[in-house]
Amino acid sequence: MIAAAALTREFGGRTAVDAVTFEVRAGEILALLGPNGAGKTTTMRMLAGLIAPTRGSVALAGVPLTRSTGAALRARIGFLTESPGLWDRLTVRENLRVYARIFGIADGESRIDRALRQFELADHASDRAAELSKGMRQKVAIARALLHDPTILLLDEPTSGLDPAIARSVRHLLEERRAAGCAVLVSTHNLDEAERLADRVAVLQQRLLAIDAPAALRRRLTTGRLLVRVLGDPSTYVAALGPERAHVDRGCLTIQLRHGEEETPGVIAALVAAGAQITEVRPEMPALEDVYLRLVKP
Amino acid sequence: MRLRALLAKEFLDIARNRGALAPVALVTIVSLVIPFAVVLVVPAMTGQPLGEDPALARLGAAIAPHAAIAPDIAVETFLFQQFLLLFLLTPITAAMSLAAHAVVGEKQARTLEPLLATPVTTLELLMAKVLGALVPTLAISAVGLALYVAGIALFAHPGVFGAMATARTLVLIAIVGPATALASLQTAIVISSRVNDARTAQQFGVLIVLPVTAIFVAQFFGAMPLTAPVLLAVGLALLLVWLLLVAVSVALFDRETILTRWR
Repeated sequence: MIAAAALTREFGGRTAVDAVTFEVRAGEILALLGPNGAGKTTTMRMLAGLIAPTRGSVALAGVPLTRSTGAALRARIGFLTESPGLWDRLTVRENLRVYARIFGIADGESRIDRALRQFELADHASDRAAELSKGMRQKVAIARALLHDPTILLLDEPTSGLDPAIARSVRHLLEERRAAGCAVLVSTHNLDEAERLADRVAVLQQRLLAIDAPAALRRRLTTGRLLVRVLGDPSTYVAALGPERAHVDRGCLTIQLRHGEEETPGVIAALVAAGAQITEVRPEMPALEDVYLRLVKP
Repeated sequence: MRLRALLAKEFLDIARNRGALAPVALVTIVSLVIPFAVVLVVPAMTGQPLGEDPALARLGAAIAPHAAIAPDIAVETFLFQQFLLLFLLTPITAAMSLAAHAVVGEKQARTLEPLLATPVTTLELLMAKVLGALVPTLAISAVGLALYVAGIALFAHPGVFGAMATARTLVLIAIVGPATALASLQTAIVISSRVNDARTAQQFGVLIVLPVTAIFVAQFFGAMPLTAPVLLAVGLALLLVWLLLVAVSVALFDRETILTRWR
């Protein structure tokens, strides 16, 4: 649905985005991670047809994004910019109404009412945008981006400034859009959110450093250690495995596997033979944050 | 539909920002007071009728529609017509701030990027900006004009009102005034799309009024008689300039630069 091929953008002599290639399929959420200045916003803008790539190409729903196809393709995009960009002197409803008319939505008012209810903004429909809190403004901006039921969503930091409850409702909404077959690209600094929400994560730092499912990315940094919880004092069982490969860390038996996960049944058998009552066994996995920091470290 | 949506937004925005139209209203009021002060109050205070001034009498006679009208009426008619020109032009300079702020203001408020991410075309966006500044200005000018005409009918010499009801006046009001406004505001929009400071755009935009003002000043000194056909030609030329400026403004509107370089 969204296809970026060798997407490159230079500003003067500086390369902001360098040969980035990825795809977001229909019914998929891809999270774009990267430090400040990594080129996330530039990538989003190129995908929305706001700026042209220096090299490479973008195709949306199979249609190459060009000057002549731009306007028609933009009608299918819901774009949330870094800043909410509301007209301060207009009310929430008026802000949405302008966009409903721009997108030629036939049942504009009922769609606006639905959006106001969805984002719990109905009580604020007549408030001027200038009077809204940062979180409220962000909600209106998201409602605006979704108003015309776009099939392609490009969202720059959608939950930035939202309280946890609203952030969760936004995530649910994005999950609904995914279920409805939308292709969703979300730029975020929130690694926890990326892990919860995204089917795949792309780590960008001018170049695309990695793109994969969050769990697959975490596995790249696997430690080869097994964490085992037992009833009673875990240090009792260190001797059964050998102190050179087992120790207790934060109430958990931590065992270094020498030959990968094939070794796990033998370790469990040894512990059971030593009388351990095992309550939990899991491989030690790094957090997505660890993977991210490893990837983007200078 | 999209242009209507954008225009509706512009009108709402201006209606909620009364301070933005205050300079237009103020200039209109001042332009309304000055002619009556000069043409009616000053002669009454000095006791010297305008028709006795040889230079004014000569100018009045030159544009008098009927050779038979009295010198005082001819001079009053001449002066009211001259002030009508200024009356039509000066609100534009005040409205320039609206147009000059148009694109820069959207960028500074960060409202431009979401708008550019929609199917709105550059032409639609810029037309909405020009008409958004033009229509309220013309509305205020129309109210002022109605008062001006009513003032002439009520306070000027009998016969001045009738002497002013000419094709020349009609061309001035219906064509030259709006065409000058369109060209000026479009200039401000062009500049507004190229600079990142509203004041710069405003200062450049006022420049378009200057040549037009110069023509009228030349007429005031008898250097160039602005008859109805001449004024019609000026008006049509201004409309052509406006169309040219529309094309230029669309061509110069660089979305990328506006989004990536302006802060």
